[in-house]
Parts: sequence; C-alpha cells; structure tokens
Amino acid sequence: MTEGQPVQQAQTPAPATPPIVPSYNPKGPFEATVVFNKPLHQKFYRLGLQFAGPGAEAFAKTRPGQFAQFDLSNIALPPADAIPEELKDESARQILLRRPFSFARVAKEVIPSAHSAPGQTAHPKPVSSGVGKIIAEVVYCVLGPATLRMTTLVKGNPINVIGPLGNGFTVPAGKKRALLVAGGMGSPPLEHLAQVLTLEHPTMDAIAFAGAKTKEDLPFDRPLDNLSREIGFWLKEFGRYSISSFVATDDGSAGFKGFVSACILDWLSQNALSFNPAEAIIYACGPRSMLTTIAKLARDKKIDCQISMEEMMACGIGLCQSCAVKCVAPVGGGIPAGDKSPTAETYKLCCKDGPVFDAKEIVF
Amino acid sequence: MENQIDMSVEFAGLKLANPVWTASGTCGYADELGEFMDVSKLGGFITKSVTIKPRQGNPTPRIVETDNGMLNAIGLANVGVDEFIAEKLPALEKMSCAVFVNIAGETIEDYVAVAQRLCEQKVIAGFELNISCPNVKQGGITFGTQPALVKEITSAVKSACGSKMLMVKLTPSVTDIAVTAKAAVEGGADALSLINTFTAMVIDIETRKPVLANRTGGLSGPAIKPIAVYMVNKVFNEVTKGTQIPILGMGGIRTASDAIEFILAGATAVAVGTSNFVEPNCTVKIIDGIHKYCDNHGVVAVRDLIGKVE
Repeated sequence: MTEGQPVQQAQTPAPATPPIVPSYNPKGPFEATVVFNKPLHQKFYRLGLQFAGPGAEAFAKTRPGQFAQFDLSNIALPPADAIPEELKDESARQILLRRPFSFARVAKEVIPSAHSAPGQTAHPKPVSSGVGKIIAEVVYCVLGPATLRMTTLVKGNPINVIGPLGNGFTVPAGKKRALLVAGGMGSPPLEHLAQVLTLEHPTMDAIAFAGAKTKEDLPFDRPLDNLSREIGFWLKEFGRYSISSFVATDDGSAGFKGFVSACILDWLSQNALSFNPAEAIIYACGPRSMLTTIAKLARDKKIDCQISMEEMMACGIGLCQSCAVKCVAPVGGGIPAGDKSPTAETYKLCCKDGPVFDAKEIVF
Repeated sequence: MENQIDMSVEFAGLKLANPVWTASGTCGYADELGEFMDVSKLGGFITKSVTIKPRQGNPTPRIVETDNGMLNAIGLANVGVDEFIAEKLPALEKMSCAVFVNIAGETIEDYVAVAQRLCEQKVIAGFELNISCPNVKQGGITFGTQPALVKEITSAVKSACGSKMLMVKLTPSVTDIAVTAKAAVEGGADALSLINTFTAMVIDIETRKPVLANRTGGLSGPAIKPIAVYMVNKVFNEVTKGTQIPILGMGGIRTASDAIEFILAGATAVAVGTSNFVEPNCTVKIIDGIHKYCDNHGVVAVRDLIGKVE
C-alpha cells in the first residue's frame, strides 16, 4: 500500500477520545435503495443507490478507489427478448457470489429546497457522517449474468451491499498536478477521485485521460458532445468538476488515435516546460495491459503513480484469499507476508491491501 | 415468548455453546470476520490452514464461480506456524468458542512438526488435520485418498498433539468415504470433519484453457450439499454411530435448514464455508434459525436431533 495517509486523515487529525463502538457492523451488510438506473449508451448504465442510517454513516466515508460488494443473486432477469444474443447462454447462470463495484460519485442527497431557483443544479457537498442520506453512483457495463440482472433494477428496489471496502487513492504531500488515467471500464473511481480532489484539494491542477478501444467503449454519457469539446471539457463527468479531459481510442473513432499512454506522452511533450514530475501524480485504473504501460511510463518519467488493480474475488473482505496481487516485497521494511526473504516477490490481497497500490509495488 | 432450547452439544468431550462453526479457509484467523459478526457467538472456529513454513499460494485466477458453487485453488497460502503464533494466535485468545487450528503439510513430518509447535498453546482446543486439500502438488489430498496413509498420518499427528483433540478432515474424492473415515478412526482420530471440496475444473471455451491458473480447484457451495449430507449419513451409519466420535458436517450449508439436515444425517456440529463469503454474518442467522426450528418442533435440546433421520 502507499505510504501516504488517506486524504481524509491527513486533513483531520484523529480525535483523542476513544473510538465509540458502533451498534452496527461498520461495513454492513446494508440495504441500499435504487434511486435511478439510467442507460447511458451501448451496454453502459449508471446506477444511483441511496443509503440511509448506518449505511449512510458508512458510505459517507467512502474514499475514491474503494469498492463495495453487491448481492445480485435475487435480482430478476430481463424478459427473454430483452437479453442480448451474446448473453442468452450466460444469462441462464445462477449468481452465488457478490460482485465488486467501485463508485463514480458519492454525495449527500440534496433535497431541493423551496427557496432554490427552479433548474438550479446542486453542487456536491463534502460528505460528512451523521447527517442525511447518501447517494452513491455506480457505472456498470452489461457483460454477464449479474450485470444483465442489474439492468432490471428500478427506483425503490432494495439492494444488499457490503462496504466500503479496501483502500482508495491518496494524495501525498506536495502534489500539485494530478493526471487521472482511465482505460475502458476503469473510469468510475477516477470520476470519484475528480469529485474528491475538487472538494478537498481545490488547488490541485487535475486533468483526465480516458482511453478505450472505440468510441462505443467509452463508459460516459454522450461522450461526443462537441460543444463541451470546444470549451476543453469534453467529458462532462470530469467537466462538472472543472477538470478538462482527453479521449483516446485505439481506432481513432474519437479523440486521439492510439493508446491512452501515447496520448499522455503527447500531452507531456506539449507541456514539458510547465511540468514538474516531482509535483505530479498519476492515478490510473483500467485493463492490466494499460496499467503495465502506465506504470512503466510513470517510472521512466519519474512521476509517482497509484493504480487500482482488479482480480477475481469471492468475498472482498479478506476471507477467501483469492484476489492475490503479485507485489515486490518491501526491502528492509516490515515482514512480507508469505516469504521472509527481503528481495522476494510476495502476494498481497487486492481486496484488503488494495485495490489501489503504488505502481512501484506491483510485479507486472 | 420462545421456549428455552438447549443449543449446546458435546463434541468429543468439549462442551460447545451451539453446533455452528465456521469452516477452515473461509474465515481467516477470525480478525476479518470479526468486522461483520460477533465471533464469540459461534460454537467453534477453525483457522485457515497453517503449515510449517509460510506459503504464498497459487497464481491467479484462484477462484471461479459455477452454478450454485465456486471453485477455489488458493494453494494453502498462509503465514507459516511461527508468524501464526506471533501474530494471529493472540487475537484467537479472545474467542470464547472452541478454536481449532487446521494443519497441513507436504510430508508426515511437516504435519507432526506443526502439531508439536502448537500443542502447548492453551487457546487451541484441537487440530483439524487437512489431508484433503485438492490444490497442492504434494501432501494434501494424496494423504486423504489412501486408507493406509490416512491411518499412518492420523496416528503420527495424534501422538504429537498431546492433550489436544485431533479431528481429521476427509475428502469426498474417494470411492467410499466410509473406508477413509474408518482408517482415520483406527489411526486415533477424536472427531471427523467432512466433506472437503471436490476436485473440479472449469474451461473457458473461448481460450480453450482451464479458467484457474492451477487448472483444477475444489468445488464448494450449495451445489455440493446433497452429496455432503449423504456422505455424513454414510459415515455416521457405517463408522461413528454408537461411538464417542462426533462428525463435523459441512458442504454447501447456507441456511438453518441446511444445517439441520446435516445434524439429522448424523453430524454433531456443522461448519459453514462458502456462504461466509456471500453473507459474512450468516452463521448468526443459522444459529437463530436452528433455535427457531427446535422451538417450532418441540425439540428441547438440539443434540436430540443428531442422526435422527428415519
């Protein structure tokens, strides 16, 4: 894990009073309520979940990059004629295990007040515990029997959630520039990070890069809004936080033609004069091949880099030991789990030690 | 007002508050599960396997979901007995239920060495002998499938574990589980736990390769429950009935009714495994559910249900 303290803790020192033992399990399971389940385009959806009571207390503290485990086993399938041809076979499978999702945005529920002007958009407020309800938003892609079931969720449906789990992105001291790098379905935690950077690090100069195979594979709402593109905030998911964005597609169907790493190199060469690697940090989430390239780019350019890893997991809470990530064992620092040789590789758990790791830790 | 039900069971001389345990490898060393439930409510707790040296485990993918089940090939990843004693054992001391340490190894000497290192630890009620792990190249299931070896290893570890109880965990991947159960009893087992996972495989038809990096894994979850109930009943009828040797029944237990089936089949206590992954507090619900069943059926003590299938 990264050496840096979680952002929240760095800003507010821990209270001296002993911790109060909560009357509920701090990580759930909680019952959330669906508030919206909006199709974006292609196979992408954005799901809004409302947490109240203890669930709101727990999820108000969600850090970007953390995840939650959803129980989707009891959710109905869509009618046969609404099941895509390529999922007809898979859709017959039963769901046993929970499915992990990270969040795209977590905010206090804003109740429109009688005094606010019609159409006024509510600005996200810093989430704090103990008050109100929390809306946590997830972006998902329909890829298998579980996500197919998710498409049938409608407003008011309950969904059983465990979380927030794992460790999220952190902001080490002295960082002034953040490069948010998303590959395919890796964008939600970076969108959440954009929200949190805006709230907690308003002076951070952040920029987002989103890559995908084609424009159809970009998990955003209307990714090709040309008006937004002209004013520099192409992806409104980042633009809403005044963070400008670049799009890269392998086939050139939108934005830069090529891998997102090439797009970053291009941007770095154009901004070489104003760019100080020591003050910059890369945050990345996406397919392993992309993370491998980004980690190498960061190492070559001497830029700190945090990456969010993904592994098949059964429980998400450290019980099953499935989600092993091969890491460089620390030299001289702490005892590496599983092997005491200081130069050896070691496995860490994606769910407990990650999913966010310092890129230098990962053995690709 | 509910009636007073006696939920306690006697398990090879141990008095357990109730018959519900968590199964080895699905509940870590108790610290993780403690975030979701009061582990002191359990009747018994079995740690993840401990080996003489630390083990990193297999490459990933280590799991794959199947219909109503899952395959795992973790490969006995664990911190090793020294770090287990230093780092994990102190937390287990706080638990009020029976704590069993699952021990594994590649050779009989490995198993004996782990038992010797741990047999003086007060917190440990006994050992579960893992001779049924399907996911390691040496040891594990190789011991568990050959009756002569089952007897030999049981006897060797029994003589190394002092006053601690020895429970032998049996694999279902044999022609007749009663034969290996008998061999364990002859070797001196104080209790039997069954069943471990079934060796199984899932193939990705696009890549035409097995999904798991280990190629095969152990099948667990609700899919195996009816077979597990049958095997518990078979071992009860052919080996343990009328003896002082209890069975810890397991395999796909998700609900209280699943647990009651195992008890009726002949299990003195039951262990919950895969379901902890889905619902980490499910054991508490199962304990409550058994209580309710007893109440509804005029059963005054849960032990009266043991082996009562007609």
